[in-house]
Amino acid sequence: MSDGAELAPALKVIGQRLPRVDARERVTGEARYPADLAFPGMAHARLLRSPHAHARILRIDTSRAAALRGVLAVVSAVDFPELPVGAMIPMGELGYDMWMVAQINMARRKVHWVGQPVAGVAAVDAHVAEAALALIEVDYEPLPAVLDIASATAADAAVLHEHIFTKGIEPRPRTPSNVCSRIVIERGDAQGALAAAPATARLSVQVDTAHQGYLEPQAVVAQVDSNGFATVWASTQGQFTAELMIAAMLGLPASKLKVVPMEIGGGFGGKIAIHGEAVAVRLSQKCRRPVKLVFSREEVLQGGSGPPAAVLIDIAVGAGKDGKLTSITGNYRLDAGGLPGLSPSLVMQASAALYQCPNLNLQGYDVVTNKPRTEAYRAPVGIQAAFAMEQAMDMLCQQLGMDPLEFRLRNASVTGSTMPIGTPFPSIGLTTILERVREHPCWRDPLPEGRLLRGRGLALGYWRGTSMTSAGHITIAGDGRPMVTMGAVDLSGTRTTMAQVVAEEFGLDVEDIHIHTGDSKSVGYSDGAAGSRVARTMTAALVEASRDALTQLRKRAAEKLQCAADQLDYASGMFRARTGGAAISLAQLMQATLTDGAIIGRGVSTKLPLGVEIGAHVCDVEVDDRTGLVTVLRYTAFQDVGLALNPAAVEGQMEGSVVQGLGWALTEGFDYGPDGRLRNASLLDYRMPTALDVPKIDCVIVETPVPNVPYGVRGVGEVPIVPPAAAVANAIARATGVRVTRMPMTPERVLTALKRVRASEYST
Amino acid sequence: MKVLLNCTINGEEQSVLADTRDTLLDLLRDRLGLTGTKEGCGNGNCGTCTVLMDGAPINACLVLAAEVPGRSITTIEGVSADGALHPLQQALVEHGGTQCGFCTPGIVLAAKALLDENPRPSETQIRHAIAGNLCRCTGYGKIVEAIAAVAGSAAQEESR
Repeated sequence: MSDGAELAPALKVIGQRLPRVDARERVTGEARYPADLAFPGMAHARLLRSPHAHARILRIDTSRAAALRGVLAVVSAVDFPELPVGAMIPMGELGYDMWMVAQINMARRKVHWVGQPVAGVAAVDAHVAEAALALIEVDYEPLPAVLDIASATAADAAVLHEHIFTKGIEPRPRTPSNVCSRIVIERGDAQGALAAAPATARLSVQVDTAHQGYLEPQAVVAQVDSNGFATVWASTQGQFTAELMIAAMLGLPASKLKVVPMEIGGGFGGKIAIHGEAVAVRLSQKCRRPVKLVFSREEVLQGGSGPPAAVLIDIAVGAGKDGKLTSITGNYRLDAGGLPGLSPSLVMQASAALYQCPNLNLQGYDVVTNKPRTEAYRAPVGIQAAFAMEQAMDMLCQQLGMDPLEFRLRNASVTGSTMPIGTPFPSIGLTTILERVREHPCWRDPLPEGRLLRGRGLALGYWRGTSMTSAGHITIAGDGRPMVTMGAVDLSGTRTTMAQVVAEEFGLDVEDIHIHTGDSKSVGYSDGAAGSRVARTMTAALVEASRDALTQLRKRAAEKLQCAADQLDYASGMFRARTGGAAISLAQLMQATLTDGAIIGRGVSTKLPLGVEIGAHVCDVEVDDRTGLVTVLRYTAFQDVGLALNPAAVEGQMEGSVVQGLGWALTEGFDYGPDGRLRNASLLDYRMPTALDVPKIDCVIVETPVPNVPYGVRGVGEVPIVPPAAAVANAIARATGVRVTRMPMTPERVLTALKRVRASEYST
Repeated sequence: MKVLLNCTINGEEQSVLADTRDTLLDLLRDRLGLTGTKEGCGNGNCGTCTVLMDGAPINACLVLAAEVPGRSITTIEGVSADGALHPLQQALVEHGGTQCGFCTPGIVLAAKALLDENPRPSETQIRHAIAGNLCRCTGYGKIVEAIAAVAGSAAQEESR
């Protein structure tokens, strides 16, 4: 373990702006995703999905479909073991409830959203499989559906799950509820402090569901051999999590299953859970052929994969005349969709974490509705919470007549100040970031005048991230070069940054390192690529593996050079005796000792200290008050990354993340009809940003290393999606004097907000 | 129903047995094994399946295989056929213009069509040319930078 600050000057490969080691196969189209695979005799699968938002399944008859020429196998819930509520598999701190994962993949007895799978078909080709779906007879008894938080929490609301009683309420409720849990975080007397505060701001926001928007729809190929061993080629954020889920859904021993992670065409949290992988395996078992299942884009959007949560958030904040915060209160209601969702706790903490405030009262509710079960999306619920909190803080600044940057500096959390959960902050660089903002042209330059209304907004973002388990091993090839196998899939340039880490440890060039992601049977257990954890924890694992391999090599070198191991120096691929000058390169050493047995360096990271992520974003917008159109003119993102393993990769994460945030801020929102059907289930009507919609995103990297973490690396990939909507909203407010409280802030909504405020101005 | 189609793909004459319901995208991926062209939406909204038909960028998912005879199709496999990267591909590598890689083949072909037609485009022209190609990873900045670097001239200075 070393402190990054001390090591930084000596680093040769880490910190270099290197191109991705796997860029070549991407630009040539050689990179292989599961949908690109084809095997002799391969069958094609399709899923039948629920047309109802809420219904009891009375009967499923697959006999006519099975009889269609070319149909090879048909499955429904009866083909899978019924998993009880609370059948947990390990995943981070909370685990995953397999009862829920099973529901996402195949409905049993009831459907809880439009698009939930009810049956699957494998056929000789996709056309036949599609035709067979129409021959599956399903009798439904439609039930009243609750489609939003308000109707789900109404007194007479239809209850989705009879076994759910609100957690976090004493005494335990006697009747089932759509409110799955209530969480309270409290410190001091927030209500009292709010009532006494000379300056206060209150804001209620509503955020629509959006989608992760990965361009590669879910895809899988499964093959079960004649011994019953299943191989699954998957597009997944974690091969081990996928294996645990598939094994549990099928009742298959882990030793009978291997998940091979292929290239993943974007995940952003949406490819942690399985979506059809176990169904493909079951179909393959039944028809004794490889089975390919590829979702259509409509399936991805219409209930086939989990979008992030819609929310209602109410914030009230108070401060003294000196601009010191005295109170933060927040009420967070999360729309989880058809199954219990992520705990509201993390985002409640995140939204208040960056401010030192003696009085805090945050309440969170996880509510189920008859919409697709939500899943993680890059800093899950972070952008929604910041949209509320950072606007409220901006309103408070306006109340106080205080510069928003000065206000943040006055209230910023610092190393050692108390986090919302009550523990002291580990090393953070928030004030450093804010000082960098203050001296940057994006903040100092006056806003250029334009024909339309213009404004500048500032917003902060915090994300805690997680650590969990990462593993890798390094063998040494006959030419002396390290061959790295890691347990992480590459979502964010992981192969490149990890090759840099191993090159640094071995004193070699990045070209000397071969690196690949192992399948779930050829590398040690690793948790999935989520929670901004992979670069940090895999760095720790591969530093350990490198040093383990080098220790083994040193012993061999000592034998060859006939001197004590501790009398050898190692640098740049060469062991050299401290006296006498005898030397041997890794290549010579391996050639001389190849038959002595393998060198295998092993490394595991399990409980690495957290590397919390903090960012500050500044955004200039132009608002057309005749159309409501908001144009982002300039955008600058500041972020503390601990130490940038590869600045180009860090910028790639920041720029992409900001643009996703801008998409949700301005145009991306799910539009549900009264029947619970998504009305914009296409990439034309669900409008993600194009190259014409966004400016170049400027990135400013700040480096405050995390103590006791190899190279001091922080998480990078999630927090830059947190501030954008708030930064844009604050800029709109500064431009127009109007707060937009519904997200996405579409032209229609901006125009409505402008008209409402102007009408009230005229009437008074 | 199956039909025999004669077409020119990446400069080679091909005779392929295709289903009448196949799109050009199905023809490329499923019949010819040219899987570099990706399917992101299947209805012409995302641009991942962009290929060149007689030099013009099109969505392969919106063209029926049966329309292809007599046309010349260029896919990503035809852009670097001799093993050396096309300057656009090299620039995307160097500028960090590819992340997950799923949109990249389509971006390469959309940009190639632009530069074949207009070797010195402005940044705005570059952004227009790839506006039909969604990318969810990069935020577009490094892609635009890469294309501008190949185009040289004004666009490069403009994008800095």
